[in-house]
Amino acid sequence: MPKCTINGVELDVKEGTTIIEAMKSKDQAIAHYCWHPGLSVAGVCRLCMVEIEGNPRLQIACNTVVTEGMKVNNTSEKVKDAAKWGLDFHLINHPLDCPICDQAGECGLQDQYMEFGKYNPEMAEKKVKKHKVVDLGPTVVLDSERCILCSRCVRFTDEVTKTGELGIFNRGDHAEIGTHDGKALDNKYSLNTVDICPVGALTSKDFRFRQRVWYLKDAETICNGCSTGCNVKAYFNKEGFYRVKPRFNAEVNGHWMCDEGRDIYKFVNREARWLKAKRRTTQGWEELAPGAAAKEAATVVKGGGESVALVLTGQYTLEEYEAIVRNFVADVGTKNVFHWINNPEQFEQFDGLLLRGDRNPNTKGLLQVLQKHGISAPWKDLSEGLKSKKIKTVVVAGPENQVWFPDMKDKVKELSAAENLIWMQTGKNAELEALTGNVWLIPMKSFVEKDGTFVNYKGLAQTFKKVTSVVSEALSLADAAQLLTGQNLLLRAEASTFVEAQKPADRVTVETRKKNEFVFRRGSL
Amino acid sequence: MSGSINSTHVPGQTKLLSEFYHLDEFRSLEGYKKHGGYQTLAKALKMQPQQIIDEVKASGLRGRGGAGFPTGTKWSFLPKNDEPRYLLCNADEGEPGTFKDRLMMERAPHQLIEGMIMSAFAIGSKKSYIYVRGEYHVPIRILLAAIDEAKKAGYLGKNILGSGFDHEMDVYSGAGAYICGEETGMISSLEGAKGQPKLKPPFPAVQGYLRKPTIVNNVETLAAVIPILRDGAAAYRKFGTEKSAGTKLFSISGHVVAGGNFEVPLAYPLKDLIQMAGGLRPGRQLKAVIPGGSSAPVLNAEESMRATLDYECLAQMGTMLGSGAVIVLDDTTCMVEALANLTHFYHHESCGQCTPCREGTGWLDKIVHSILSGRGRLQDIDLLVKVADNMKGRTICALSDAAALPVISFVTKFRDEFEFYVREGRSKVKGVAYAEMHH
Repeated sequence: MPKCTINGVELDVKEGTTIIEAMKSKDQAIAHYCWHPGLSVAGVCRLCMVEIEGNPRLQIACNTVVTEGMKVNNTSEKVKDAAKWGLDFHLINHPLDCPICDQAGECGLQDQYMEFGKYNPEMAEKKVKKHKVVDLGPTVVLDSERCILCSRCVRFTDEVTKTGELGIFNRGDHAEIGTHDGKALDNKYSLNTVDICPVGALTSKDFRFRQRVWYLKDAETICNGCSTGCNVKAYFNKEGFYRVKPRFNAEVNGHWMCDEGRDIYKFVNREARWLKAKRRTTQGWEELAPGAAAKEAATVVKGGGESVALVLTGQYTLEEYEAIVRNFVADVGTKNVFHWINNPEQFEQFDGLLLRGDRNPNTKGLLQVLQKHGISAPWKDLSEGLKSKKIKTVVVAGPENQVWFPDMKDKVKELSAAENLIWMQTGKNAELEALTGNVWLIPMKSFVEKDGTFVNYKGLAQTFKKVTSVVSEALSLADAAQLLTGQNLLLRAEASTFVEAQKPADRVTVETRKKNEFVFRRGSL
Repeated sequence: MSGSINSTHVPGQTKLLSEFYHLDEFRSLEGYKKHGGYQTLAKALKMQPQQIIDEVKASGLRGRGGAGFPTGTKWSFLPKNDEPRYLLCNADEGEPGTFKDRLMMERAPHQLIEGMIMSAFAIGSKKSYIYVRGEYHVPIRILLAAIDEAKKAGYLGKNILGSGFDHEMDVYSGAGAYICGEETGMISSLEGAKGQPKLKPPFPAVQGYLRKPTIVNNVETLAAVIPILRDGAAAYRKFGTEKSAGTKLFSISGHVVAGGNFEVPLAYPLKDLIQMAGGLRPGRQLKAVIPGGSSAPVLNAEESMRATLDYECLAQMGTMLGSGAVIVLDDTTCMVEALANLTHFYHHESCGQCTPCREGTGWLDKIVHSILSGRGRLQDIDLLVKVADNMKGRTICALSDAAALPVISFVTKFRDEFEFYVREGRSKVKGVAYAEMHH
């Protein structure tokens, strides 16, 4: 355990720790571009220069291991001047097209310029011309002139995805990022290269030119795209959500997330959502408030006993499952609660990095609740019950991310055989809206609109807070549980006790969302 | 062949290595053996490896490729018991002005091979590579043929001369990148990757080629092991000084009557070396000398007259012995144009990995060319020094320093020429502008 002093602060670090890691652990500021905690050390941006007592030459903090008694500083004039020049070298051939650059507002060059720069440029020569708007693949666009050749993206494809599509071609100031012959940057994690790009060289086709980042707020939440439960940040404003980026959690996702998970914001925005509840009448569909619809539907649910069936997908929170299952068992008097497994043949698959075949964030949580209530009804009971007309009313807590439910059509067809169908979900669906008969369609809250807990594939319970409201009238499953069983919307204190008891010691609690401030900094990624 | 660079006939030299370079037969195994070849190897293989390392240490031999690092010390950095370990011979010889390794490989391929086998035995390496610069087609051919001969004669392969020591040797052709002369750049290239220097630590002696312990030595360094083991360290030390022991081949070029390679003891006076090369052309005055390859800071005429060719004296004068490439510039040289030549070279050769070098070499080159094209500003002269100062010591390898040092020395020592060029838009020496001359 070497002891060292960094900027006057004494600290003990583990054997083999580099200076930059030691500084990060103490939240000390140090400029850097090429170093990334999730990648190997490249040591090429030369910005993390530090002064080590007894060494006349400045050293890079990313490749210098702390030794016993080392005295380091990065606040001296010598270091600051080196950082200023390091930045200047990065900027001399940079196009400085911030006004039209997507990265503006979260750009490493801008950040460091505000820190070390603010000088009059001395470069009076012509800048190097390089390729612009290079289509690297289905998700990413490259602007070589903005690129500072930190090689983070190259190392990512070499070391993390091991797909190796990217390389640096040519030499000297004509060097450019590119893809190897006949290859495209096309892997399930390609958008991480955009996240780790400290400048606007790699931009996401999905996000570019859609919103200025300073008009976005960010909030921490959990990805609901699969059972891994990656920790993410969601970026939004009053018009909706714009993108999702990963947030570091060593235990769950490290620094990364998959490209598919980045689509989750699309299911949340208003254009994809039911805004009002619908009730089928002889004249067709009649719109009504979600709460009113649930209350009305209570007439066919309450007291229905064994003729009522509840179908749950793994897309809701632990708290919601507990509320609805308990109410159905106690107040409706049915144990006909069924688990809708969307893609059983892929359920156990895993791509080796993050993405799991179980495309539900909370299958484990649902199973825990069902087990607690002693429920283990197989799907065929439901099918037979519908055929024999023993089951008359079906209440469905449908999927949020319908694209990952390939059997959506089949299930709608099968369940619409019931006399009364109460289908609750967040998003629009053509099949449901084409149904006839006694049908209620009730809009639900998406995962960013409620507090809750997801239990991931390995049983880690991750609690998250509400981010914002998109469809303010939408119900949570807990609300629906109350209303469908004829009760008013009151918080029942016992509801949370079970959840508390289920929390493993290592549970992760997500911070409440930050207020209207933009704190995301590339340098700290 | 190579008559013009083989100047071994000129008297006054001290020929420990190049004694027989003028004989064509010295290139064949038979001829080499006739003049004492492979006898030292037989002697060395009977010694303990550590004895050889100690002898080389005692000889004070320093790396002849440019950095001048003590060879024996480098060898002793190898970790114990980590196998396999590799010996790489750096024959990339890319430093502008240097052409001694080419002579050695062309005139005495077996000398290099013998030196390498002994060095490999000392460090316990069973496999070695000679990394030859791509432009050197002829030396590559000669080396390949010589290695074949040596194999057939039992100097390479299994159980060499009955010693129980096995060794294989191969030649690898570079692809024309200056940066591959940097040892870790060379290792990357040899591994099949883009020739880019690697971060240090780890140093090659610990993790080099294929992440195994590796020693990289210059052609001349490896050949110099022969006289050291043949005559003993003490005999070798008779030449040169305490810190610069032995002899060295100097490649002298530029404005001299008969440039070429000359082997002299270290600490030889620079002005005598110029005389050895036939002196300056009639009627010309000495203006400057670049003493150790294009990356060594330039000496003005007065300094050149005082300089001796050893590590200490040149370091004291703020320059370096480098690879021993002496470039002589007479009074017809426009220093602005000469510098433009150098900045263009380093701009072209920067590998582009580290930002200060990638951007800085281009920036320097553009500023100098702006001055040449008459668009220079007076502040550009100071800017050159500032940019160069901030490239120094800030990168993974020394290319950035190599590009910065000449700029600083040219601008500070010949500032008047730069100022004249900026003010008048033409060369102080030639009287005309670069653009007019190259119309």
